[in-house]
Amino acid sequence: MQVHADRDKCEGHGLCADVAPEVFELDDDAVVVVLHEQVPSALERKAEAGARVCPVAALRVST
Amino acid sequence: MSLREVVVVGGSIAALTAVETLRMEDFDGRITVLSDEELPPYTRVPLSKGVLAGRESADDVVLAPLADEVDLHLRTPATGLDLEAQTVLTPDGPVRYDGLVIATGARARRIGTPGQSERVLRSYEDGLRLRDDLRRVSSVLVVGGGFLGMEIASTARELGRDVTVVDLAPPLDRLLGTTVGRHVRAVAERAGVHIVLAHGGVRLLGEPTPTAVETPDGHRLEADLVISAVGDLPNAEWLAGSGVPLSGGIVVDERCRVSPYVVAAGDVTVMATDDGALARTPSWTNAVEQARAAVRSLLHGDDAPEYRPSRYFWTEQFGLDVKMVGPLDPQGQPAVLDGSLDAGSALLAWPDAATPRQVVAVNHHTPPAKLKRMLTGARRTQLPA
Ligand SMILES: Cc1cc2nc3c(=O)[nH]c(=O)nc-3n(C[C@H](O)[C@H](O)[C@H](O)COP(=O)(O)OP(=O)(O)OC[C@H]3O[C@@H](n4cnc5c(N)ncnc54)[C@H](O)[C@@H]3O)c2cc1C
Ligand code: SF4
Repeated sequence: MQVHADRDKCEGHGLCADVAPEVFELDDDAVVVVLHEQVPSALERKAEAGARVCPVAALRVST
Repeated sequence: MSLREVVVVGGSIAALTAVETLRMEDFDGRITVLSDEELPPYTRVPLSKGVLAGRESADDVVLAPLADEVDLHLRTPATGLDLEAQTVLTPDGPVRYDGLVIATGARARRIGTPGQSERVLRSYEDGLRLRDDLRRVSSVLVVGGGFLGMEIASTARELGRDVTVVDLAPPLDRLLGTTVGRHVRAVAERAGVHIVLAHGGVRLLGEPTPTAVETPDGHRLEADLVISAVGDLPNAEWLAGSGVPLSGGIVVDERCRVSPYVVAAGDVTVMATDDGALARTPSWTNAVEQARAAVRSLLHGDDAPEYRPSRYFWTEQFGLDVKMVGPLDPQGQPAVLDGSLDAGSALLAWPDAATPRQVVAVNHHTPPAKLKRMLTGARRTQLPA
């Protein structure tokens, strides 16, 4: 599983990182960073849940 | 009792988060989602911005699709609830549940007459209609200067329309407090927005499409397009007579519970505040956090953590990115933690820097998580040793 973050769309609300801190982080400019190029299978559900709470739909999951 | 069938009523962020939380908690029974929408879950947040401006379409707002094993029924409104028989009524027949999550949200409040085709902004279809309206007009009147009304005003101004906002009170003050409210209004006025205060509610004039409003003192304001942004009402009518406690929304306890095996989350709920009064908190973060708490208490009862709102709000308008943590409407003068409003970027705290109750970041790149920690850190140091 991969998560693609649209960094132009991201408004830095950090809800993704609240849900899945192992997968999402905010950088110094409060823009999202995806920590895994390939999401480990143990974190897949969390990654998906984190992607779905983004209020500006900046995160896309693909398998 | 272990739950085998969970039904989620609603098709937006609270419903979606409920589903996600069930999966994260390793619930392995059946999940059925009943939504009266045409579209799968999408975010409303860009409707007043990118969608209204014509920059974003359905693909940009739809949230990542639900997992395959979730049974999503679109165009399926819940019309009633039988608590005893544990069934939700729908036009397609009753749906049985062991556990129920109610997340039917809210709809736009209207002030027009039934004969008027009042323009509001709540759904994606509303967004498309207003986008097309905006292309055709040269002047826009927005009734209501809350976050939504001011964001619509900002987008309409960005499109070059002549924009007036009318409200009972200075826009945004009761949300952001007077210091930040005044600042945002000044920026809006500099961008060319006219702000008009009406002393009492306005009346929409013109049928079917309103093209003016009248203030209580007989003043008339006209525009090619009149948009109402006057708040929202909880979608709870379908529960009338069901036994679910209703008082301006579904009354939930500190774990988002309604009655045995029934929980509720998001814009449809009211919850006791610190002073005991019941209040709604219609915001994205609240919907997400309540949905999480609601599902945990459905699964774990009293062992689930109580709902602790993070009280995170934001708005984007007129080039300002405002992020706030803490109860709305901070009072008095803030302490300036960094920058200054006049210089365009500021971090402000109320009532003081050492023990903030509210922190507001205006065009300031402090991540919300850090803003939240500033409050909890302060709360901790206040506790007696
Ligand atoms: C234009 C706009 C911009 C916004 N911007 C922001 C923002 O920047 N920040 C912020 O925090 N908040 C913002 N909000 C508010 C935020 O979108 C809401 O707080 C959030 O959508 C609440 O989610 P919810 O799931 O509780 O309710 P809703 O989003 O209202 O969803 C309720 C769902 O239930 C469905 N439903 C209703 N009745 C039934 C029924 N009987 N049977 C089946 N389904 C039913 C509805 O169709 C809908 O899908 C904005 C709202 C709007 C309209
Ligand atoms: S939730 Fe969305 S907007 Fe917020 S930090 Fe994550 S990607 Fe960015």
